[in-house]
Amino acid sequence: MEDDKIDTNSEEFTDAKKEMDKLVYESVKDREIKPNVIFAKLSDFTRSMPITKGVVNWARVNSMWPMMFGLACCAIELMDFGSARIDAERKGYLLFRGTPRQCDVIIVAGWVTKSMVPEIKRLYEQMEKPRYVIAFGECATCGGPWWESYNIIKGIDEVLPVDVFVAGCPPRPENLFAALMKLQKKVGGNVEG
Amino acid sequence: MTITRINVGPVHPSTHGVIRLVVDLEGDTIVHVEPRIGFLHRGVEKLAETRMYMQIPPYTEKLDYIAPMSYDEAYVATVEAAMNVQVSERAQYIRVILLELQRLASHLLSIGLLCNDLGQMFTGFMWTFKDRDIVLDLLQEAAGSRMFYVNMRLGGMREDLPADFIEHTLSTLKYLEHRIPMYVSYLEKNPIFIERMKGVGVVTKEEALDLGVTGPVLRASGVDYDVRRNNPYYVYPKLHFNPKYLQSGDNFARYKVRILEMQESIRIIRLALKDIPEGNALGAPIKLRSPNPVNRISVVSRELPRGECLMYMVADPQKPYRLSIRSPNMINLAAIDHISRGARYADLFSILGTLDIVMGCVDR
Repeated sequence: MEDDKIDTNSEEFTDAKKEMDKLVYESVKDREIKPNVIFAKLSDFTRSMPITKGVVNWARVNSMWPMMFGLACCAIELMDFGSARIDAERKGYLLFRGTPRQCDVIIVAGWVTKSMVPEIKRLYEQMEKPRYVIAFGECATCGGPWWESYNIIKGIDEVLPVDVFVAGCPPRPENLFAALMKLQKKVGGNVEG
Repeated sequence: MTITRINVGPVHPSTHGVIRLVVDLEGDTIVHVEPRIGFLHRGVEKLAETRMYMQIPPYTEKLDYIAPMSYDEAYVATVEAAMNVQVSERAQYIRVILLELQRLASHLLSIGLLCNDLGQMFTGFMWTFKDRDIVLDLLQEAAGSRMFYVNMRLGGMREDLPADFIEHTLSTLKYLEHRIPMYVSYLEKNPIFIERMKGVGVVTKEEALDLGVTGPVLRASGVDYDVRRNNPYYVYPKLHFNPKYLQSGDNFARYKVRILEMQESIRIIRLALKDIPEGNALGAPIKLRSPNPVNRISVVSRELPRGECLMYMVADPQKPYRLSIRSPNMINLAAIDHISRGARYADLFSILGTLDIVMGCVDR
């Protein structure tokens, strides 16, 4: 068995960054290219080695794409998160995508009414696995000031499995940045950059 | 020709908020648009009936979350009218300054999102959001928070302006005055922008009056009406406020009115900062028992960044019996069927962008 030659649980493969560097270096060595040139083919990873968890996680962690989905007040802070001051792209949270099929993380920003629940469920089900949920703000976390309202559900965690909760009314855009970094750590691997 | 029915939303990148539009198309031409609302309804007016007077501002603020302070002020002014409380001179000036700063932030956001709606003109979005952050920093300095402030009290403010606020505001205004011509040259020299704005979504003067649209949408159609001039409150008469209005009533006029209003706001803030008197600006602190209202019914009209808001309150001891809000966004949204009839499908989003609707205020 080819898999037996490489012990993926060994210590040298726990660090995804090291593993990545090693793969790049080996692929460069085979091709007799100067080692300071970064050049690697995807097939080199797949042929020479089984795709270990580390590589996939490394890629997954460093390209978290949020969905363009805002409900209420917190969505304004979400827009600010994508704009010039915060510059979300530097950590791999690429600009918001318009379709759920290209996204990894859905940020529920705002209060969730009873008529919105089926729509959110549907959007979540359209996302590719693995998918993550962030409850952004008081209303999505627990109902917030609308606790006594007749039309608001008390937190999105009644509907979706939430990974990270963000407190605040509304939380600052920096808090969303921290929440996404926390999610990256939860998914596994070190945060690059 | 057959009529195609397209469903837009409720989650769509170009609708600001959660709204569903059922659009009937004949070819590429819009025959009928039917907005379906209520995805954000949370019963603010009902909740207000179970709260004491000064517990309600956090709820009214969240109606229009792009310009929260203006709704905060409108509600507190209604309670002041019910209780016959006079606002001190310095507090009036502070309120005018903060409200106009809030209007600047709101119009900046509206122009930025308009650029986004017109097919990812992302430079405009980035520029306006950068400048909006600078204005929000000022509001944060004065009121302590980026978005929701709750800094109005009966007869005044929660706290006076911080020490170097005037200096900071003047330098920010100077910066904004330099930036607004940059937006104008960036947008109005762009042939795509002009093509999609000029002559699209025209509302004539008569139509605007019949539909009852308010705010910049009304003034873009050639109606010279602004609550700050026609039914003045606070120190607006002293600042020689002049409403800006244009004649053509199309998308471009609605955008241009916002630019002109921003320049007028800058002028007003400058004057107010120059004239601001010394004195006590603090209002009554919130206590367990508030004074009881004198007037049973009070109505207050205010010019919000999106149009005229009317607050009608029937007072009971300690808490309102009924609070009714006439939201400008609701009225403007109701006009979308009439405005977009005959336009192309792609123009629907530029029309929606220039109407500048906040769904939190429509659904309440």
